[in-house]
Order: sequence, then C-alpha cells, then structure tokens
Amino acid sequence: MNLLVILAIIAAWIGLRFLKANSLAWAAGIWVGLYVGLSYGINPPLPSSILSMFMAIITLALVTYLTAGNDRMKEMADTIVTFVVDKRYTGALIGVLIALPLLVSFKVYLNMTQAPEPPISGRTIHPVPPNTITVNGSPFNIVEGHNPYRELESSDPDAFALHLENGRRVYYQNCVFCHGDNMEGDGQFAHGLDPIPANFQDATTIAMLQESYLYWRVAKGGPGLPSESTPWLSAMPAWENFLTEEEMWDVIMFLYDYTGQRPRVSEEVH
Amino acid sequence: MKTLATLLTLLYFVAPSAAQNVDLGTDAQREAGRLMYNAKCSHCHGARGAGDGAATAFLRPAPRDFTTGTFKFRTTENGELPTDEDIRRSIRQGMPYTGMPPWPQLSEQEVDNLMYYIKTFSDFFSGPFAEVTALDMPSPPSITDESIVRGREVFLENSCIDCHGNLGRGDGPSGPTLTDQWDIPIRAADLTKRWTFRGGSTRSDIYRTFTTGLDGSPMPAFDIQPIEDQWALVNYVHSLSRDEADYSTYATSVFTTAAIDPSAGADAFSAAPEAFFAMVGQVIEPGRSFFPGVNGLAVRAMHNADHIGIMLQWNDMSADTDGINGPGLEVPIWPNDTDTTQAFSDAVAIQFPSGDGSGGGLPYLLFGDVSNSVDLWFADLSTPRADHYVGNGSGNLTASGMDYETSASYEDGQWTVIIKRDRTLDGQITFEDAAFAPVLFSVWDGFSRERGNRRGLTSWTYLYLEPAETESPLGPMAMYGLITLLLGLGATTLIRRKYSNVSA
Ligand code: HEC
Ligand code: HEC
Ligand code: HEC
Repeated sequence: MNLLVILAIIAAWIGLRFLKANSLAWAAGIWVGLYVGLSYGINPPLPSSILSMFMAIITLALVTYLTAGNDRMKEMADTIVTFVVDKRYTGALIGVLIALPLLVSFKVYLNMTQAPEPPISGRTIHPVPPNTITVNGSPFNIVEGHNPYRELESSDPDAFALHLENGRRVYYQNCVFCHGDNMEGDGQFAHGLDPIPANFQDATTIAMLQESYLYWRVAKGGPGLPSESTPWLSAMPAWENFLTEEEMWDVIMFLYDYTGQRPRVSEEVH
Repeated sequence: MKTLATLLTLLYFVAPSAAQNVDLGTDAQREAGRLMYNAKCSHCHGARGAGDGAATAFLRPAPRDFTTGTFKFRTTENGELPTDEDIRRSIRQGMPYTGMPPWPQLSEQEVDNLMYYIKTFSDFFSGPFAEVTALDMPSPPSITDESIVRGREVFLENSCIDCHGNLGRGDGPSGPTLTDQWDIPIRAADLTKRWTFRGGSTRSDIYRTFTTGLDGSPMPAFDIQPIEDQWALVNYVHSLSRDEADYSTYATSVFTTAAIDPSAGADAFSAAPEAFFAMVGQVIEPGRSFFPGVNGLAVRAMHNADHIGIMLQWNDMSADTDGINGPGLEVPIWPNDTDTTQAFSDAVAIQFPSGDGSGGGLPYLLFGDVSNSVDLWFADLSTPRADHYVGNGSGNLTASGMDYETSASYEDGQWTVIIKRDRTLDGQITFEDAAFAPVLFSVWDGFSRERGNRRGLTSWTYLYLEPAETESPLGPMAMYGLITLLLGLGATTLIRRKYSNVSA
C-alpha cells in the first residue's frame, strides 16, 4: 500500500464533496481516483492487463450509474452542453481538447515502451473438490467423510498426543522444506516455487477448510487439482505416493496443533 | 589457540571463579526455553541438542549439535564458545539457504530463553572456558578500487583459492574432499553468491567469517596483517557478487543477424541479458533431492530468422564427465542410495510444452503428464550431444533419436552449455516473435549422484523472443493523438451547432 497516494485520493474526493460537484464531476473524480489508486497505490503494482480490466469494469459501472434515471441523464447532458457552448468556458474547452490527445499519446508511448509481461495465470486457490477420491485403493468421501482420529482429542488425549507426535515427525521429514519451520510457506525451497507453498498461519488456508478437504489436498497434491487451479504449476506433492493414510491424517492434525488454528467443521443438519 | 586454552586452564586453577560472569539465566528462563525448544527446534536439533532430530537426515548442513559447544558464527576467537549475543543473532537471523530458518517472530525474551536453554546442552558453558569476550569488530572503511585489487592478492597469498577456487565459485582443488567436524561432506561457499552466505552477506559479516573462522567446518580463521589487508580481502570478496539473487521471472532472447553457432562459446551471447533463475531440489516425486548441488541457473538466449540458441551457465564445484546420466534413470527411495559403484555425470535439460500448446494448460512441471507432453532437450555432459526426449511424466520418457546442436565447456567452476534449434520444428514448440514460450530447466550434479528424478529444477518460467525490429512509438502516438483530437473537435462542433442558440 502506498499510503500517500491513497490519502491524496481521499483528500481529492473530500474536496469534490465540498465543491458540491454534480454527478458527472463525481463520476470523473471517482474514475480518476480509482485509476490513480490502482496504478500507483498498490505494491507490487498490478499487471497492466489486469488494470485495464478493472478500469473497463469501473467505467461500465459509472456509465450505468450516470445513465440510470432520467434526472441524472439530463443533469449530465446539461453539464456537458454548458461546458461546450458557454463562452466563459472556451479557454478550458480548448485546454481539454489539447490535453486529451496528449494524454492518449502518452499512454500509447507507455504501452509501447514498457517491458513485455509474461502471461499470468488466474488460479483458483481453493477449488471445489471431487465428491470421492481413492487413496491408495480405499475410497474416501470428501463431503461426508471425516478425520477418523479427531475424536481422540476428547475421548483419549494420550492417544491423540501420539498422533500429533507422529504428525510432527512426518512434517519435519516431508513438509518443512517447502512450508517452512513456522509453517508460513517459506521453507528453504519456497523461493524456487511458483505458486509458493501455502502459509498455514494465514487465516485463508487451513483455518477456513475442513480436514477432509485437506486430506484431499495432501493425498492428491498439485496433480489432483482441477484445471482452473493450474495443476501443472503446483509443486505440492501427492503424498499418497509416500505416506500412509494415518500419517496423512496425523500431519493434518499437527498443522492445526502447531498453528493454533481449528479446522472448519461441516454444518450439522438438524 | 592451544596456548590460549592452556592459559585459560591455568587461570581456572588460579582463579576458580573465572566463570563467574557467565550468565546462564534463571531456572524459569531455561524452563521457558525448554518448552519452546521442544515445540520449535527439537525436531531438527534433537531432544538432547545433539543435532539428531527427525529432520537431520534430510538437511545438509546438518542441524547444529549443541553438545560439543562448537558454533560457526561467533565474534570470539577460533575454537572458543560464542557470546550470548552471537547465539541470539543466529536464532534471529537464521542461516540463509540452509534448513535453519530466521525467527524474527520471537520476542527478545523468547530468544533469550532459547539461548539459555541451548547453553545447558554443553558443559562447556558452565566450565572453565565459559567466559568469552567478543573481539573488536571494526566498522568497515569505504570501498576503493585499489583495495579490491590488493584484496585479490591477499586472496591468493592466503590460499583461499584452494577451497573457494580461482574466481571464488567454490571449485577449489580441495573442494570435493571437504567434510565438517561431523564427517559430513561440506562445500566451500560460492563467493559469487553472497546472498547464500550462512553468516550474513554484509562486509562486517565477511570480516567476522575469516577472522574468527567457522568452527566445525573446514573454513579456517585467518590472522591477516596489516588491518588494511583484512579490509582489502573483504572488499575483494564483496566485489565478487551482486547484493541479491534478483531471481528473474522470464528470460529474453535478443535478435541477431549473425548465425547461431554453439561452438562460438559464451562471447557470442554477450549482447543478450542474463536471466537468473532459482533452482531448488526436486522434492515432489520419489527420488527426491534434498541437497541439490546447484542453486541457481543463468540463462541467455539469441535468435535469428531461422534459429534460436539458448545458453545455460551454472557454477559447479567439479566437472563430472565420467559416468552416465539420463532423465529417466531409476533412483532408489531416499536415503537408500548406498551402492556407489556407478558414477553419474553432470547433465542439464530444457523443457518446453510439446506442440503448439493449444491443449488448454501447460504440461505438469515434472516432465509433463499423460495428456500434455513436453519436449526435453537433455544434455548429458559426458557426451557432446543434447538428445530429444518426449516426456509424459517422470516414469514415461521416450528418446526420439533426434538431437540438437550443442556445445559444453567447463572453466573456473562454471559450466557453459549452448543448445541450438530451428525456430520451427515439426511437433515441437514454435518460437515466435514477441511471444512468451513456457520453459523449465533442470540440472543434475553428478558429484551429488543426481540422476533421473533426483535433480535441481526451476519452476515453469518463460522465454520471450524480442522481435527483430521494435516499432517506433512515434507513429502510433501521433495517430491515436490525432484521432482523439478529431473526435473532440467533432463532438464540440456537433454540440455547439445543436445548442448554441439554446444557451445564448
Ligand atoms: C515441494 C514443495 C512442497 C512440499 C514438500 C509440501 N508442499 Fe504442501 N503445498 C506446496 C505448494 C506450492 C502449495 C500451494 C499450491 C497448491 O495449492 O497446490 C501447497 C499447498 C498445500 C496445502 C493446501 C492449503 C490450502 O490452503 O489449500 C496443504 C494442506 C499442504 N500443502 C500440506 C502439505 C503437507 C501436509 C506436506 C507434507 C506432508 C506438504 N504440504 C509438503 C508445496 C509443497
Ligand atoms: C528445519 C530444521 C531446523 C529448525 C526447526 C531449527 N534449526 Fe537451528 N539449525 C539448523 C541447521 C541446518 C543449522 C546449521 C546451519 C549451518 O551449519 O550453516 C542450525 C544451526 C543453529 C545454530 C548454530 C549457529 C552457529 O553459530 O553454529 C543455532 C544457535 C540454532 N540453529 C538454534 C536454533 C533454535 C533456537 C531453533 C528453534 C527456535 C532452531 N535452531 C530451529 C536447522 C534447524
Ligand atoms: C580449507 C578450505 C577453506 C579455505 C582455505 C578457505 N575457506 Fe572459506 N569456506 C570454506 C568452507 C567449507 C566454507 C563453507 C562453510 C559452511 O557452509 O558452513 C567456507 C565459507 C566461506 C565464506 C562464507 C561464510 C558464510 O557465512 O557462509 C566466506 C566469505 C569465506 N569462506 C571466505 C574465505 C576467505 C576470504 C578465505 C581465505 C582467506 C577462505 N574462505 C579460505 C573453506 C575454506
């Protein structure tokens, strides 16, 4: 976030409010403000293709807003007409007529001289899983299935602790290289992977997922993802090639234990 | 060092309270340290601090064994224990490019507690040698060209090249034989990649490294006089590398009218910009490589109307040209790789999606998948060729019998491999102007017995072909500017015509 830019935009908008600007001026103000904010207010900067996409959407929204309702339509038309026709504004009009082409040329210049940008893959991070998967020959229902060891947490804490301990071993022998010692997705190989390994401390990963969903992600890894999740890029291994089902559940429980997150539970049907 | 130890022993008997000033923390601090250590550190450093945690077999360098009192990163004399602040610093900053992470998220107290607890693993911390004083670490003087030139001489005079190699690429003649105190093979640092320095990459860090040595590793302490020469050496080592890795997201191939000739060597590529890609171990499918021999790959490319040449360069401790290699060779499940009768050669591969890529997505990063194949240009550097393989996954590679024009050379610790192809070739990717071709690189280090799935690799990245002529922006600028002007004038005229009488 570039705070200065954001503040400047907000200040400009407040200014518009005080000037009692009409809806056309507001629309222009919002458009320019968002454009500046999106181009210069965010770090790292948005790729230009994305920026144009956003601006197209914003333009569409503003036009719809302005043309919805006859009052606003009329107000807008009146404003434009007065500006063009009224002698008081001739100077400004000439200014605009000269400035616009210059702006357009400048934009063309920027577009043509900027470094080319590699294609970006819009990737779905948490796609809908299949209903059932087969892990090492045994079927598992992701919708209805659950972690068979989770109940030990209350029924047999000692046995549960052993599962956690085993999960810890599995983690340090298999996952730490990518997901990191503090589980922030910054293990020693993470810098060479794109997409980067998931950050389990973050609220948007395991904290909002069910254990059966994780089981699918752990067992099937990148290759098990549907195509909207660009499975060809994901370095997440398919752990059924290395681990037993119990080991996979144990490491999942360890992820929650270490980060202090709780798995999402499926809503009970009453 | 010996005399120092004797002196200290003497002191101990003369004044048994020598260790009085040693701060071992309170019971509460050590207990808090123990709990945190068991939660965050013990699976690498071992429950008793002996460096024998569950992860140890997968890490090189291995997690430190704290029972011997040997520490690499110290501001104290060679062979001495570290200061408390040295241990704190190691915990906070970690050791880049090893399994030891930085722990910036821990509070001062937590780091203190851990430090006190670590000290309980070795009796040395409560014994006669426990009291240490930090050496004076002067602040670095400014860098001058003369000092860098002088530094090169100091580098040679002190035989740094025996281990680090003539140009510092970690390829000195003793390199392949080096082991640490625990008999684990260790590599002399690649001084051209300062960002990988375990103890930090600033000039002060470099100064500390060679004045105090890295205990437990073959990296000795050097007493270089006068002090100007110490800083000359620091400045020279510092000058061998850029500050950061600056990993690239794509490589750019530049247009040339000259013929692409692999045998012309690296000089022919000097006009092309270097892209530097991170390379990490293949730890995704069985046959994993936990300590890959190569951690970065430099790529340059040039094309003319008909051909493209791609040059790959990486630093390697030794050129392994004996033995065999292949992308599909079997690798036993790690770590059961004990039969060492077969030697493996260094090798490199470039991977592109097959065909025109219209299949919707890319092939899977590890040599493709069943429905999307890759074309692999594989050069076993014990041969002068690069062979063409079609990959439908790691277990599913077929050599087509075709090969690419190639050259390979090894000099001062660096491999240079150049591979050439026609820009259009039946069934393989077409290299079009101004387009991004997806590409992925693999390197096998024969010394580390890498072959098949045990290798270093990049992620999918891109190769961009700069068009022969870049269009001047002036024409389009004028055109679009004019169109806008006309539109504006047109609109104004229209509106004025229609409304002038209304508002007048
Ligand atoms: C080679 C690196 C690598 C290793 C080793 C690895 N992962 Fe991953 N993992 C990734 C990457 C990259 C992602 C993110 C991309 C994706 O979603 O596939 C990921 C994603 C995940 C996710 C999905 C999180 C989410 O929010 O959807 C889970 C769960 C996971 N990993 C668990 C594990 C476990 C458990 C292990 C060890 C048994 C492990 N990973 C080992 C690279 C790795
Ligand atoms: C994933 C494994 C791993 C974890 C977890 C880990 N370390 Fe380490 N640690 C290492 C490795 C590997 C080294 C050796 C690095 C080297 O030799 O360059 C090391 C080295 C050290 C050193 C030695 C510095 C020196 O001067 O020699 C200290 C101190 C240390 N670790 C403390 C800790 C503490 C405290 C924790 C827990 C908060 C911790 N480590 C967690 C792997 C780990
Ligand atoms: C006997 C072999 C040997 C000699 C001689 C030697 N080094 Fe080293 N050096 C090593 C090894 C091995 C390492 C890697 C240690 C490690 O990774 O723990 C190393 C590491 C380094 C590092 C990186 C430290 C870090 O933080 O990772 C620097 C800088 C360095 N050496 C400089 C020098 C200089 C300057 C000289 C000559 C004055 C020199 N070395 C002589 C073996 C040697």
